[in-house]
Amino acid sequence: MVTREQVLEALKDVQDPELHRSIVDLDMVKEVAISDGRVRVDALLTISGCPLRETIVESIKAKVAALPGINTVDVNLGVMSQEQRQGLITKLHGGQTASAFKGPGSFLGPNSPTRVIAIASGKGGVGKSTVTVNLAAALSRLGHKVGILDADVYGFSIPKMLGVHGRPTLIDQMIIPLERDGIRVISMGFLLPDEDQAVIWRGPLLHKTLTTFIGEVHWGEDLEYLLIDLPPGTGDISLTIAQTLPQSYMLVVTTPQDAASQVARRSAKMAEKVNMEVIGVIENMSYFQPTPKDPPVYIFGKGGGAKLAAEIGVPLFGEIPLDQSVREGGDQGRPVMLTTPNSPAALAFRSAAEKLRSAVPVPARA
Amino acid sequence: MSPRMPTPVETGSVTDREFTITWSDGHRSRYTWQRLRMGCPCARCKGEWNYRPDPLTDREVPPTIRATSLTRVGAYALRFVWMDGHDTGIYPFPLLRLELCECEECVARRAAAAPGAPSA
Repeated sequence: MVTREQVLEALKDVQDPELHRSIVDLDMVKEVAISDGRVRVDALLTISGCPLRETIVESIKAKVAALPGINTVDVNLGVMSQEQRQGLITKLHGGQTASAFKGPGSFLGPNSPTRVIAIASGKGGVGKSTVTVNLAAALSRLGHKVGILDADVYGFSIPKMLGVHGRPTLIDQMIIPLERDGIRVISMGFLLPDEDQAVIWRGPLLHKTLTTFIGEVHWGEDLEYLLIDLPPGTGDISLTIAQTLPQSYMLVVTTPQDAASQVARRSAKMAEKVNMEVIGVIENMSYFQPTPKDPPVYIFGKGGGAKLAAEIGVPLFGEIPLDQSVREGGDQGRPVMLTTPNSPAALAFRSAAEKLRSAVPVPARA
Repeated sequence: MSPRMPTPVETGSVTDREFTITWSDGHRSRYTWQRLRMGCPCARCKGEWNYRPDPLTDREVPPTIRATSLTRVGAYALRFVWMDGHDTGIYPFPLLRLELCECEECVARRAAAAPGAPSA
């Protein structure tokens, strides 16, 4: 007959689908009762309306049923008390009761394995968000744990481009990011009553939102890359990011035209002032090639990205061609990187992602 | 700030008689609290394009002034909360290192570089 220990050992492999930690480690298993071939597991959910309760029940049943001599598995779900939830949050914050700001599990800690990369452009409309989602998808395909923080509070577009909608689960003050294709995402779009609402705020509210996204969102201690989709310009939001994160990198996106690369240079200037290292430049909308046999057409001029990279003294990570499938992917919420990974644009994104991860490698996982 | 700009590896405590910073290149800076407060770079103390206040002097800032706490701002600055309630000054590392450091070496260097300084 199986023992309580064996059941708990089996349950260690069951992860809370949102928190990405074992339900045993999180003290969510309250009781295990064994009689003959029958096992009853009492588990506690963090909140009563947990959208993924069925997933948890199914995984518990599957794991326990796989033990020898078990015929029936019953799962009773309860809800954590206020104190139990607080204990769980403390645990997730690495044993500290205050906010995530100083917990060792947070990327705000000095030894965090998470590499934070702010994607900036200076100018609007050059494709920051498109680059962000496709780089995230490419990094994810390369086997990394990736998150996107949509810092464009007024002009958020990540939810649409990644096809992720809904409301994040709140466990007291802790926000669980939504997830799509393995990419964890938080955006102002998830917090509004509907995505057509306009955000009409001055600086202080922006600051509060961003520090919440950084400090109160449970990104997970296994997160390797957090890409921050900045709004255009060098204003409140960019400054809040620079003042809140103890270490972060900047990736500058531009189009080939002078008018864009000249403004993008100011983002790099800001990075210098706030001691953020610029790791590279990505040139978007570089050229258009109707078919592989046609010569490329340089609609927005040529070489703006390379010139900017040389001026800042950083590598050019890639030149992304103009491609209808990139735009369609964005509008349909399926990044081109995932739908047509062998298209020229997707290959360019992939190569850029590879350059990014060699520029800021994550520490080897234990 | 260029990536080669040294950054603080250790900062003294607000309870110390003088404030100190040890930099990543080994330099040790020291500061009297009064001069550090007078060197506040915020718009209220230093002014902005349409507001030019008189510089702070030891008449406004008593020699007994102390900071009550300090925090690091991102990767580029320190911010002090002063016992007079003032807390809007964000001191970027280059300011602390190149303009406000009161160690003998830095004081001598600035004196030599000042316009009108006797040439050696």
